[in-house]
Amino acid sequence: MEKEKEEKRYKSGLLRSLRPYKFNLERYTYTLHRITGVILILYLIAHVFEIYHLALGPVAWQQTMALLSSLGIWEKIGLWIIAGSALYHGANGLRLILNEAFGMLLGKPVLPEYPYTPTSLSRNQKIAIYTIVVIVVALWIWAGIYLLWGLGII
Amino acid sequence: MKVRIRRFDGQKAWWQDYEVDAKPSDTVLDILNRIREKHDHTLAFRQSCQMGSCGSCGMVINGLPALACQTRISELKTESIRLEPLYNYKVIKDLVVDLTDFVNKHRSVKPWMIRKNPQELEEAPMEFKVTPDQNLTFVQFDYCIMCGLCLAACPTVAIDPLFLGPQALAQAYRYIADPRDEGFEERIEILDDSHGVWRCHFAGACSYVCPKGVDPAKAIQYLKKEVLKYRLLHKKKASVKPAELIQKPPPANAPKPPPFDFKIEGGE
Repeated sequence: MEKEKEEKRYKSGLLRSLRPYKFNLERYTYTLHRITGVILILYLIAHVFEIYHLALGPVAWQQTMALLSSLGIWEKIGLWIIAGSALYHGANGLRLILNEAFGMLLGKPVLPEYPYTPTSLSRNQKIAIYTIVVIVVALWIWAGIYLLWGLGII
Repeated sequence: MKVRIRRFDGQKAWWQDYEVDAKPSDTVLDILNRIREKHDHTLAFRQSCQMGSCGSCGMVINGLPALACQTRISELKTESIRLEPLYNYKVIKDLVVDLTDFVNKHRSVKPWMIRKNPQELEEAPMEFKVTPDQNLTFVQFDYCIMCGLCLAACPTVAIDPLFLGPQALAQAYRYIADPRDEGFEERIEILDDSHGVWRCHFAGACSYVCPKGVDPAKAIQYLKKEVLKYRLLHKKKASVKPAELIQKPPPANAPKPPPFDFKIEGGE
């Protein structure tokens, strides 16, 4: 017997939602926002677990610190990725709050005229995104230098 | 030109290649009609107006949702075309998708004029007046042709099948922004929900692919603002009172406009 229609929706799902290829710049920022959000959640869980060792006494805390130190450069790389995630997620989150709660950077409703250029994705939005990228990259490089300095490499 | 189409016959799905004669001025819909006429009459796709007004021929063309009738071969700038049914919908056959959920979501936001006193709609003595400035606040969102491309582009629809989607939310805002409408409180229950307006994370892909310039992403962000305002401050978008809406007849002593001249210049 023939199926009436395909049982699953065509090309939907988590991985598909994270694929911005061919779409607009804002969809790339969306994907990065989701990924950095997951990194921050994982970090928070690990951080709470780390802090929990404080309650177990000084020996347990020293052991945790020793374990983290034994990771060497990987600990710093991990911290650098977390710093980048926090910077991007925070800065892009501010842009989204401006958009969503205050209706800013969207432009006013207009009479659509061909060729259609949606004002919500136009100049103001792009300026905000590029500004975020420049600030985040600059601060992220600074965070990297700070971490390398802490290791005594520079 | 090589055309690669994702087929589905009710049993199995497969990719099929066609070699078709094509001119640069042809649209993708022309190519599909040519395939059906000359190569394969079993190919299924929707079409109606062929001029970007009905929204029937939405499909994914080279990875981007678009209307087949509005996409010219020359614009694609590729040697071959890859056609797929719209993402995030269940496929019925070949390029035809099931739009039942889409239409139900649209209906769920009550996309019609709501007045607290329905008699005003039935027995209005004159037309309900809207100034050009008021009209401009919602007319952009009125251009929706329900092609469904925005839901195919939306990453949130991809992970949440219950999300109302850009089309329904934009239509909700279209009526909420209309000064003649008083249905905000009726609609807010469905809009202010985890599958409603707050599920949108502003990826903007809906506005990017919209073939009519409706800009659903903008409407949704405005809608969030209105819902927030209502929930936090108990302020809702002001709707106009019936007395202001109804165009008053001119006073009896008003000068009469000159009679319309039906004469055509140069005619007898």
